[in-house]
Amino acid sequence: MYRYDEFDHKLVADRVNQFRGQVERRVSGALSEDQFKPLRLMNGVYLQLHAYMLRVAIPYGTLRSEQMQMLAHIARKYDRGYGHFTTRQNIQYNWPALDKIPDLLDELACVEMHAIQTSGNCIRNVTSDQYAGAIEGEAEDPRIVSEIIRQWSTFHPEFTYLPRKFKIAVTAHKNDRAAIKLHDIGIVVKQNDAGEIGYEVHVGGGQGRTPFVAKKMNDFVPKAKLLAYLEAVMRVYNMLGRRDNSYKARIKILVHETGEEEMRRMVEEEFAKIDASEMLTVPQTEIDRISAYFAPPAFETLPADSQAFTQAQADDADFARFVRANVVAHKQDGYAIVNISLKPIGGVPGDATDAQMDVIADLAERFSHDEVRVTHEQNLVLPHVKLDDVKTVYDALAAHDLATANLGLISDQIACPGLDYCNLANARSIPLAQEISERFSDLDRQYDIGELKIKISGCINACGHHHVGHIGILGVDKKGTEFYQISLGGAADENAAIGQITGRAFTEEDIVDAIETVVTTYTDLRADGERFIDTYNRLGMAPFKERLYD
Amino acid sequence: MTDYHLVIDGATAEESWTYLDDDAALSDAPSIISLTRLKDEADALAERSAPFGVILRADGLGKTDLGEDVRELAPFIDRLALIAIHFPAYRNGRGYSAARVLREEFNFTGQLRATGDVLYDQWAMMNRCGINAFELAANIDLATFQTALGELSGAYQPAADQNRGALWARGK
Ligand code: HEM
Ligand code: SF4
Repeated sequence: MYRYDEFDHKLVADRVNQFRGQVERRVSGALSEDQFKPLRLMNGVYLQLHAYMLRVAIPYGTLRSEQMQMLAHIARKYDRGYGHFTTRQNIQYNWPALDKIPDLLDELACVEMHAIQTSGNCIRNVTSDQYAGAIEGEAEDPRIVSEIIRQWSTFHPEFTYLPRKFKIAVTAHKNDRAAIKLHDIGIVVKQNDAGEIGYEVHVGGGQGRTPFVAKKMNDFVPKAKLLAYLEAVMRVYNMLGRRDNSYKARIKILVHETGEEEMRRMVEEEFAKIDASEMLTVPQTEIDRISAYFAPPAFETLPADSQAFTQAQADDADFARFVRANVVAHKQDGYAIVNISLKPIGGVPGDATDAQMDVIADLAERFSHDEVRVTHEQNLVLPHVKLDDVKTVYDALAAHDLATANLGLISDQIACPGLDYCNLANARSIPLAQEISERFSDLDRQYDIGELKIKISGCINACGHHHVGHIGILGVDKKGTEFYQISLGGAADENAAIGQITGRAFTEEDIVDAIETVVTTYTDLRADGERFIDTYNRLGMAPFKERLYD
Repeated sequence: MTDYHLVIDGATAEESWTYLDDDAALSDAPSIISLTRLKDEADALAERSAPFGVILRADGLGKTDLGEDVRELAPFIDRLALIAIHFPAYRNGRGYSAARVLREEFNFTGQLRATGDVLYDQWAMMNRCGINAFELAANIDLATFQTALGELSGAYQPAADQNRGALWARGK
């Protein structure tokens, strides 16, 4: 994992001091709330319905166990004993006091963490695949280029006051777990026929009230040219992105209004100019220095199978279910990727208590080469666990309500904060997710239903990714009462798609039944081995609509 | 007298320039004119010995207008002694790109000035983008300006200033 050098440490410390000054100027009245707003946002501080909220970055979703311990400590000391893992590999604290935030940031800085650029109209925390470095078939560890992008985009003088926020995601695998096509820029690390590493760059994806799947702008940007290419995209956007209407300010709207071809032409033209100086070609020595931090950990040479692991599954049906749903093959023989679901039945998606975070930190240290990962679906991962140890890890997780065996199943939902926290919400999201989770609590039924992603947003801003849920649920407002609209067929993976609305919205009383109707329509009509999304793609909306409304 | 405190290259400076309205007659004093006038009267301006500059405006151009296009200055660059970039609101960062294009693409070496909503927390970023002259609120002293510029001790990336950025410096 990347470790800060003196320079990184100093810059983060400078930033905390700078923010301390800004908070003081706000408190003294030298800064108006309006002037303070973009500054606090650039440091991850939002104003929510009830209080300030702090969003801490987990760059490309990778944590060391001491960092996870710090997140637990902060939940205890500055919040009410829990934190909320978000859809963009951040953790949010809902209740810190504004005047304590600089101290909190000082503590974070001790473990090389920060809240820089987790909000505001700047380049946000770079996200990546939670299985990076653990899954077979990556062109290269995507965290290498993610770290380079993190550094390049941090305090970028030209791109700190963009028309709107800007999000970049990176994957290096054919199965996209980072939702890269729903980002302002999505990057696929790949190898060309000559064996060289380069980047496929997608531009203009996003959700919100006008969702778009990103367009492929360039099939292969050579490794040395990536930052020049990114700077070209950013400059075109900064000069031409709309600033008159915040709903039309994202790059997705620029791409849409300009047209893909014209956008590509402008980017290429800008790229040629920027690249001419070669100023943005990162020296190979620096790439090597950063790459070394992501070298594989010291794996032991082990047989591909573990007798203990097989036996434990035979002995313990609950463990066998956990393995089936949450354990994924590792690229290294004798190891596994262990997913930790933060979606216990009836729980709040993405929440973890301080005690749970401490347990996970401890397990990571003892059994996963000191690493924890955070996923955009609001779960956690122990990426490098020996098969021999999986049962021990499972037992420890189970003792802290962390062993729910539902990864990718219907109760593994994404939900935004909704009306419980958010002043923009039309409807509650978390209580609905809890109800759905209770309704489908039977694990055998969940396995029978198979992979099914439900995503819930309390309003059209789509923080809960409803557009790309296999089943999406959107809170809409009708004369002051909460209603929910359903969409079907969305996807956030390599086959990214925006879901289609079924029709008229459902009341709070009817929505869970309606979801059940959608699910039984699928189980009645599916062909052998078909997942929900396959059946939907084969049959389309008609049968679902018929059952929902006739 | 101006209602701002002018800082050029890190030092307090006397204002020697005047912003000229489009219908005001040209004088022999150094004048900052609009892009429209620059385009319309380019030949006449070339005849004059007094230095002139231009302001790149960002508002008053219609609601959906983004602001004037920096690349329209290309044909005039060699004759301009000053370019003022108007920041209509501190959170409108379009002018940062204009500044870098002027310095890095057009190699503009004259005075590059920030005017408009130019506040404490933006000065350092503007400076890195090549802006060397700032119209600050009258009550801001030079020490405050210098503190703001020094808040971050380094940078990761190159821009229009001398700082190459850590990603490059470490590699050397
Ligand atoms: C007080 C709470 C929140 C407010 C007021 C809020 C507000 C917004 C707004 C206004 C947008 C639309 C921006 C745009 O696309 O132009 C948005 C989008 C989004 N927000 Fe939030 N948000 C909140 C909490 C969250 C949380 C907790 C998460 C993560 C779990 C989140 C994740 C997102 C995501 C992923 C998007 C979609 C971005 C895209 O277009 O790709 N937000 N939010
Ligand atoms: S989707 Fe709407 S309700 Fe949910 S957090 Fe975002 S802004 Fe709030």
